[in-house]
Amino acid sequence: MFKSKKYLILLLVTAMMIFGAVGCGDDTATEDGEGDILIGIMVPTTGSEAADGIDMENAAKLAVEEINAAGGVLGGRMLVTTTGDDGCDPSMATAAASQLVSEEVVALVGGYCSGATLPTLAIYGDAGIPFVVAASNATSLIDENPGWAFMINSTGLDQAASAVEKFISLGVETIGVIDSGDAYSADLKEQTIIQWEAAGYEIVADDTVQRGEVDFSAFVTTIMANTPDAIYWTGYQAEGALLIRQLREGGYEGVIMVGDGSSAQELIDLAGDAAEGVLCTGPPLTDFLPAAQSFIENYEASFPREPGAYAALMYDATKLLADAIERAGSDDSAAIKEALDATDGFEGLAGPIMFTEQNTLARSNFVILEARDGRWALVE
Amino acid sequence: MALHEVLLQQLFNGLLIGSFYGLVAIGYSMVYGIIKLLNFAHGDIYMIGAFSGLIFLTIAAPVIGAGWPSLILGLLISMTLVGLLGVVIQRVAYRPMLKAPRLSILITALAVSMILYNTVMIISAGRYRVFPAEVGTESFFIGTLRLTETRIILIVAAFSLMFILHMFITRTMYGKAMRAIALDRDTCQLMGIDVYKIIAITFFVGSALAAAAGIMAGVYYGTIHFFMGFLIGLKAFTAAVIGGIGIIPGAMLGGLLLGLLEAFGTQIPFIGTVWKDVFSFAFLILFLIFKPNGLLGRSESERM
Amino acid sequence: MAENKKKPKLTTPLESIIESLFRFFDNKVYRYTALFAASGFLLILPSLSSRFTQEIMTNLFFYVVVCLGLNIIIGYAGLLHLGYAAFFAVGAYTTGIMSSRFGIDFWLTLPFSVVAAVLAGLAIGFPTLRLRGDYLAIVTLGFGEITRLTIRNLDITGGAVGLIGIQRPVFFGITLNQISHFYYMFFILAILAIFVSYRLHDSRMGRAWEYIREDEDAAAAMGINVTTSRLYAFIIGSSFGAVAGSFFAAKMTAISPDSFMFIHSVMFLMAVVLGGMGKIPGVVLGCIIVVLIPEISRDIGQYRLLIFAFMLLIIMLYRPQGIWPDRPTISAKE
Repeated sequence: MFKSKKYLILLLVTAMMIFGAVGCGDDTATEDGEGDILIGIMVPTTGSEAADGIDMENAAKLAVEEINAAGGVLGGRMLVTTTGDDGCDPSMATAAASQLVSEEVVALVGGYCSGATLPTLAIYGDAGIPFVVAASNATSLIDENPGWAFMINSTGLDQAASAVEKFISLGVETIGVIDSGDAYSADLKEQTIIQWEAAGYEIVADDTVQRGEVDFSAFVTTIMANTPDAIYWTGYQAEGALLIRQLREGGYEGVIMVGDGSSAQELIDLAGDAAEGVLCTGPPLTDFLPAAQSFIENYEASFPREPGAYAALMYDATKLLADAIERAGSDDSAAIKEALDATDGFEGLAGPIMFTEQNTLARSNFVILEARDGRWALVE
Repeated sequence: MALHEVLLQQLFNGLLIGSFYGLVAIGYSMVYGIIKLLNFAHGDIYMIGAFSGLIFLTIAAPVIGAGWPSLILGLLISMTLVGLLGVVIQRVAYRPMLKAPRLSILITALAVSMILYNTVMIISAGRYRVFPAEVGTESFFIGTLRLTETRIILIVAAFSLMFILHMFITRTMYGKAMRAIALDRDTCQLMGIDVYKIIAITFFVGSALAAAAGIMAGVYYGTIHFFMGFLIGLKAFTAAVIGGIGIIPGAMLGGLLLGLLEAFGTQIPFIGTVWKDVFSFAFLILFLIFKPNGLLGRSESERM
Repeated sequence: MAENKKKPKLTTPLESIIESLFRFFDNKVYRYTALFAASGFLLILPSLSSRFTQEIMTNLFFYVVVCLGLNIIIGYAGLLHLGYAAFFAVGAYTTGIMSSRFGIDFWLTLPFSVVAAVLAGLAIGFPTLRLRGDYLAIVTLGFGEITRLTIRNLDITGGAVGLIGIQRPVFFGITLNQISHFYYMFFILAILAIFVSYRLHDSRMGRAWEYIREDEDAAAAMGINVTTSRLYAFIIGSSFGAVAGSFFAAKMTAISPDSFMFIHSVMFLMAVVLGGMGKIPGVVLGCIIVVLIPEISRDIGQYRLLIFAFMLLIIMLYRPQGIWPDRPTISAKE
């Protein structure tokens, strides 16, 4: 028995040989001063959030194409992208981040699921690579940011503020809040509770559902017993659609608002008639951005789908990065970071970008949407 | 709503979700009773049932509409097809493993589960799908109890299926053979019972019931998803154990009890809905420690 | 005893290929050559390979530690455990809370993490180890879910957001923050886990476990305290998981309940059973398959898990005892 321990080592070796051969193949080092500039894209291209992730990847590629067609950056150098799939999962994200770092990208764009983006910030920080975060916006990202990440989507703080403001303007006095037990939605719920109570109002129902849960009847019954004036759902669209259906079916007639995780058209499609009149604190959807009309046309010409909720932000992130490289005057990661820090009013599709001291967007970009006739419409 | 009205509503909520758990739990329990396998793929069979219902409705809707007649037809066809799928899975993946270590067949079941939901994930592009049933969602009241036509039909259908199954198990030769095999497979073989045929029938019935539950869930919730079987699989499993795994009426009872437990769990002061699932699982563990054979389990020799 | 074991009858070409591959290692010279080549290769690997390769290898070593711990419970003591991610979570969160909330040095948190795992192991093992095998599986599954949900609901664990700002370990003045550091750290841990597993297997306790696994009643009749022995397996196995969890927390610097889902327990279980329960090289082989196959096949995107599942099914159908089983067992049948 004792001697069999050596078996395993040989096995390890064989595996390693095979694996080493696979793993060593990817050296795409960029030379300083000339040649292409490699930019990493980190989004979920598989798993439950793949639809939005692929939209974001497309938007980044579109931006790069346009930049290259216009002569590239730094006097004629082309941008090249490589994608790491974070799968909306913290462990997969760290592996993807390491892969991107080992491919020696000079900078990164992406970041969709906050929970997956979170552990990668330290990895990029240790490697000294600037990361323009397009969508992830949990407030926990701010604390964990070693200074190399730049968030161009407003954070949960701003979103909660938009929601609270809207509720107050509607004359709502009591609300119920419900999240789906992941980092992003719990954070948004937490911020909403803090701001709502600070404004002197009452929370009458507070709940968490598991992702994948389908039956909210028990929750609906509790809601009907407490009858809050409004309900704020901070999770994603799949559970959100079911919740909306069951609330309406259960006889709830108050205001229903959802967070930006549920801002996809899919929410309305899944909830059907029940979605009519539902409000959303959403990201600036491309449909409503005057500057984005040509972007939508170009996007639809290049890819067989409509740009999703975060495509415009990702496009902005990529354009911002190219601008920063230009301003840095080199492809040195540290210089690009300096340039990003100094960003002052870069005009993106979704509005001007500049950063606070914590590297978050210096204004709130949230808008209030309402579901009308099966589509999201902007509430003025 | 006053407290007793809330409790009445929760009682109804609990019964409805409990009857879904029960239908799925029956399959777990039957399979465990007959070949001692914890069939992890069973939740995915439920999911496949929902998707086959979706496909049927999509095809049939232009011809015969998507109302109750079409749903009942879809239910029967899907139950048959998914039941056959259950038999095929049993033949390919489980039967060769009957003499292998128990853990190996468990891994096989996990592999089957992964195959089923990954296949559907690829086909459905990982998106939630709207279940296109056109049934009444108008609600009405009996006293203070808020009901819909759909809810009533679903709960009646679920109980009817359980009743039919109960008759099948207790009144037919096949049912008797199933119970006999659960007791002693080798002796049954000696007595001339076609053991493999009975095992196949067990899988057929269990899978058909799970498919029925899947379609009912599609009608009730309105959307279906490739991963919908996971959570209900876990819960049905719990239900089967509470009732005494391997005992059919136990599975039904366990399902209903778990549904009620979840519905009322949200009403308990200081526990709150956040702790609902912790509460269910803690209850399960306490149950197993103090009543390890389940509610209806008496002794080893009286299973199923 | 390995010398005079009978080879199982070969039935398929695939099996005979696998068998002859394993027979190759029966030769002492080959085995030692392989041992040295492998250690040497693993030691210099970080300087030859990309960050990504090192990350995956680190993950592999991590799996080896966790799965060898689970192997003590499943393979040695024959107890089916479906909530092992909970013990791994206990370790990770003990280190995480002590480090991020109280600023305690990583190395000082390790003993606490082991103590916490022992307590958790006792809490769940003591009342349940008398249960039938399948019921134990359900209890452990329930315990795994309870642990995850509790972590998600409590404030001290950071709720659903999890813990952030866990400090990196300092080792002789060097802050471990590069992937190569973690590579070597987990490499050493894996070697230690292998060593301890061998010692346990050959210990008095290991023989008791084997006896109980093969025939519980006979073991009890011979004076072995079945429940106590099983409890030891539970506690020791849990400690492995907790230590791995602590290092995992230090490597990630941020942990959330998402890393401790039921699916993770299932992956650990798969690795143990796939390679061959109870046999250390088998478990390592299982880890290699579970960790490397999905990573190597990243390019095929959404099909990779499907293909992985088919492979798993086929392997199990042709090698029901695991790819590299301990020995042909007869009694494991029922």
